[in-house]
Amino acid sequence: MTLTSTPSPAVRPPRPPRRIRTAGSGVLALVAIVVTLLVASPLVFVALEASQSGWGTVQRLLGRPLIATLFWHTAVLTAIVTVGALVLGFGAAWLVERTDLPLRRTWTVLVAMPLAIPEFVHGYCWVSLFPSVQGLWGAALVMTSSLYPLVFLPVAAVLRRSDASAEEVARSLGKGRLTVLWRVTLPQTRPALAGGALLVALYLLGEYGAFAMLRYDTFATAIYTQFETAFDTVSASVLSLILIALALVVVLLQNRIGRQRGRVVREGNATRPATPVALAGAKPLALLAMAALVGVAVGVPVYALGYWLVKGGSTTLPSAEIWSLTATTLGYALAAAAIATAAAVPVALYAWRRDTRLARAVEQTAYLTRALPGIAVALAVVFFAIRYAQPFYEQPPLLVAGYVALFFPLALTAVRSSLAQVPHGVEDVARSLGTAPLAVLARVTLPLILPGLGAAFAMVALTASTELTATLLLRPTGTDTLATQFWTYTTGLAWGAAAPYAAVMTALSVPAVLLLTRRTLGGARTAKEAAR
Amino acid sequence: MFVGVRSMKRSVFTTAVTSLAGLCVLSLSACGSSGASSVSSSASGGSLAGQTITVYSGQHEQTMDALVKGFTAHTGVKVQLRSGDEAELAQQLLVEGAASPADVFVSENPPTLTTLEEKGSLAKVDASTLGAVPAADSSAKGDWVGLSARSAVFVYNTGKLTAAQAPTSVTALASAFWQGKLGIAPSETDFTPIVTRMIQMKGLAATTSWLKALKANGKVYDSNEDLVAAVNRGEVAGGVIDHYYWYRLRDEQGASSIHSALAYFAPGDPGSLVDVSGAGVLASSHHQAAAQAFLTYLVSKPAQQIIATSESYEYPLLPGVTDTRLARTLQQAGPVDSAAQLGDGSQAIQLMQSLGLLS
Amino acid sequence: MSGLTVTDLHARHGRADVLTGLDLTVGDGELAAVLGPSGCGKSTLLRIVAGFHAAASGTVAVGGRVLDDGRARVRAEQRRIGYVPQDGALFPHLTAAGNIGFGLPRAERKARVAELLDLVGLGGLGDRHPHQLSGGQQQRVALARALAPRPDLLLLDEPFSALDAQLRIELRAEVAAALRSAGATAVLVTHDVDEALAFADIVAVMRDGRITQADAPDTLFHRPVDTHVARALGEANLLPAVCADGEARTGLGALPLSEPLLMTEALTSSGSGTVLLRPRQLRLGDEGMRATVTAVHFRGHDHRVELSCAGEDGRQERLVAYTDTTPPGPGSSVGVTVVGAAHALSPAGEAAAAPAPETETVPERTVAKAH
Repeated sequence: MTLTSTPSPAVRPPRPPRRIRTAGSGVLALVAIVVTLLVASPLVFVALEASQSGWGTVQRLLGRPLIATLFWHTAVLTAIVTVGALVLGFGAAWLVERTDLPLRRTWTVLVAMPLAIPEFVHGYCWVSLFPSVQGLWGAALVMTSSLYPLVFLPVAAVLRRSDASAEEVARSLGKGRLTVLWRVTLPQTRPALAGGALLVALYLLGEYGAFAMLRYDTFATAIYTQFETAFDTVSASVLSLILIALALVVVLLQNRIGRQRGRVVREGNATRPATPVALAGAKPLALLAMAALVGVAVGVPVYALGYWLVKGGSTTLPSAEIWSLTATTLGYALAAAAIATAAAVPVALYAWRRDTRLARAVEQTAYLTRALPGIAVALAVVFFAIRYAQPFYEQPPLLVAGYVALFFPLALTAVRSSLAQVPHGVEDVARSLGTAPLAVLARVTLPLILPGLGAAFAMVALTASTELTATLLLRPTGTDTLATQFWTYTTGLAWGAAAPYAAVMTALSVPAVLLLTRRTLGGARTAKEAAR
Repeated sequence: MFVGVRSMKRSVFTTAVTSLAGLCVLSLSACGSSGASSVSSSASGGSLAGQTITVYSGQHEQTMDALVKGFTAHTGVKVQLRSGDEAELAQQLLVEGAASPADVFVSENPPTLTTLEEKGSLAKVDASTLGAVPAADSSAKGDWVGLSARSAVFVYNTGKLTAAQAPTSVTALASAFWQGKLGIAPSETDFTPIVTRMIQMKGLAATTSWLKALKANGKVYDSNEDLVAAVNRGEVAGGVIDHYYWYRLRDEQGASSIHSALAYFAPGDPGSLVDVSGAGVLASSHHQAAAQAFLTYLVSKPAQQIIATSESYEYPLLPGVTDTRLARTLQQAGPVDSAAQLGDGSQAIQLMQSLGLLS
Repeated sequence: MSGLTVTDLHARHGRADVLTGLDLTVGDGELAAVLGPSGCGKSTLLRIVAGFHAAASGTVAVGGRVLDDGRARVRAEQRRIGYVPQDGALFPHLTAAGNIGFGLPRAERKARVAELLDLVGLGGLGDRHPHQLSGGQQQRVALARALAPRPDLLLLDEPFSALDAQLRIELRAEVAAALRSAGATAVLVTHDVDEALAFADIVAVMRDGRITQADAPDTLFHRPVDTHVARALGEANLLPAVCADGEARTGLGALPLSEPLLMTEALTSSGSGTVLLRPRQLRLGDEGMRATVTAVHFRGHDHRVELSCAGEDGRQERLVAYTDTTPPGPGSSVGVTVVGAAHALSPAGEAAAAPAPETETVPERTVAKAH
């Protein structure tokens, strides 16, 4: 048999070399930078507005005794919730991926489910059922129980993919289970923990609604006061700049921690599923812990929604309107999800392919917007749209653009983490097989990060379908979404009438969470099962 | 609901391209926003029917819906109603500037209108419209007209307090009796005017110590909605709200679930505040005539009748129209405080911020 | 397939100079190995030839077609150069067949994939995904994938290093045989001497961003140009010597020199220098110079013996010898005799990087042949 014994049939004459110095990579860099500039435009707006303030305003704002308190509040809450989310997220991930906990698949889905519950529903449910849940510990409880899935999902994904042999070696070196957990398993998941912690911390910096309900003042609530009670955009922007500085600290910290590679040594190819750790006597305890977690994070909101559906005086059978609102909400959420995901690809690819300072800066800038309060982002979109894109003003594309600006970081995180799993060199090999860069993207890179794209899409769709602040400002006049209708009723004290909208929002989110869970965790397991 | 793997693979690619193109258009298509509009009909003459105006409204949404329907039926002018939080809408108007698509702004409280007035964003309201309601209910400069009013009241839990224990003055709330019993919602735009009046009537020093006592006595709520519900279920014994929150709560929970009642501050007390909701025409509007017609309609008898029977439970301002469901008439509630006197409330806000009542 | 000519190649990673005037010529149908320690720039060389990295200056040509001249480059996908990276870099989402067929036009895919699966001994496993294959099987797929589009040149970047020892030996022999039977031109980079010597027609020793010497394995082993190459190819006894009249006077006595003509260039004017004796050139017995056995290791196929003897100037010389028979134990005194000639060396780093005459390939000639 011959392989290449005959020379290739057509030996082409040598063609003149082409100049490609900047062709593929240059275009990617350009696209990545343009996308980042667009999604970071709210930062520009905030800086422009803040620059109108005098030194006196800054001094008045920052000289208040309250500022130190707010700083402290923000820092303490961010620290508590981030640590809490890390503990719960890692603990739950370890239980479902590394132990013989019964019903692990069911637990996996249930534990991820708080993502399906809109943030303001979380706060509203707790406040309406347990009015005493408030202040620092109330806020910590509610935020931790709603945000820990942001840690759980990526950590579970890493645990599922990574080889358990390192843990076995550690056991053989005479280390106890807890020591192995602490010194081997935990460091392996470090990048995933850092990524999850980043999202949780940024979310906390910019969050307003839930804290307002829970009566806990942070920096973001001070910004809202300036926007909404004092109508002072300039002062609000000055405070926002400080929030951005805090976000920058968080991003740089994450970068530092995540980069100290606790990387999984072996992935994919030769990994063996871990022999589950036998919980033995601790099994009831573990089950109890999982039940408590799910009960608090999912049970309470679901119960509260049911309660208001049944008890609310203003509850009417949802009219046909609720279905048209559902369609509208879905349309916007899906459009925003598709665009945010697509826009995240070049930025993530650029940062992945080039580990340069510029590439890192581009990626980090894209995260900062996440810490801005929604109203600042929305006003920024208003600001730029009315000046440079007036035909789109108060038209559907504007609301989609607002969602993209708000939730781009979520898409970026998902795409970035799936790119990190792509074996090095596959793009090079594909090109050496005669495939042009765009075709390589379509035939190799994108199919490989498809789970990440699915996760990004689901995450953005999920969050955008329940967004309120920016929706109110950016929606086309006359358009309502489920969230705005929910808001209209709750501000009119008609909780019963509002409940069906919250219920539909939650129900809509369930498939997205299932998709997210499967996309984040699924691939490796099915592959492994096929291998057996 | 989600596309299959294969088609998604393909579609991601096309969406990437189209969406980027879209984003670019969005940001790059510079357009002359200052270009003159074709429509600029004069105030008088000619039918307005067929025109469309855009209304930004911070008012009770269901009530505004009813008013807009009435206006369209009456004049043939179509209305695009944009309901939202009044403060956010005011922010939006300020950021939009002259390019704003809004023709009319309807607020819940005067400060938003006053802010727009100070920035020169509002056009003068037709004199005949202003004349329909008492002069004190509208802007002194004639930039906006009052539509409805609400009075500050004290809501108390009937299981925890007797009617006799309800305060007749907000100053009484500083006393030790209210320790742990009081609820306040200082971030509400309705609370600021009370503090402003307190400063004007009692002086800055007295107001400062009063607010300190309130902070010590009271539990802080994010909104009047939260506060009235908390009082009703007995979480706190009482608090200062606008009257209509209690009526709306009664509608929602049913009279049998109501364990609270309203008490009124004595006339002349800083707490006996009557505040108006108003509407103004944006100076940048290209539909001045239709916008003015909308304001005229809002203070007309049919419109005020809608307000008087709506779920918003505000006082109509047109003499002769009353909301019979309310325990007191507007006249009994006291004189309307002029918006000019209350100003934009910045002094009160800064005071509350310095005391930590506002963040 | 056509030969590779690399001329005066310079390359940088950021601000670090990685290649500093590298020359390499691989004849048409030859298998070449580039041997060097990690970090010497050998992977960069491959990446430049493949088109993943830009040359700063110099020329890369395959079959006379200039691919990179430091200013303009032919794109990687237009070079017709196959590439097998260290970890295989299989496309995880494609089956073995899908991987192999990736670079083929649809029409000829099926037949060619089957042909290649057979070639690499994976017939019947085309439906498997990479994670369902063993490490060795994965590397075979990677090789088949690179060969499938009949590239002009094949580049292998330490493709066997992730495999266990036995599999590595088998697979590299198979691959070398497959490439030879196909008449393929290939460049393998490795840090493993055995691999380089077993695989290649010519071996190029690389150091500090340039090729020190490129020659047939046998030539390179016995007649390295300098001490660095001598050491790079395996254990070496480097003895100080004074050379004159075709003889080297060493601690082991007067030895004949392998290349009297080259000798003068390698030595200083006084005639003193260094000569190479491979461990297998030393015989232990009763005759010859006396030496003391300091250590013995049995290695299955032979014994490795460390010796100590008094050198020419009175210093103790350390020597290594490989013997097939069991040597006396440590502490014993033995006689050492030398088989064959001593080879005179330049001090490391001074050797010219000029390719040996027999491997020089003129690009024009290759082009003519290709036509």
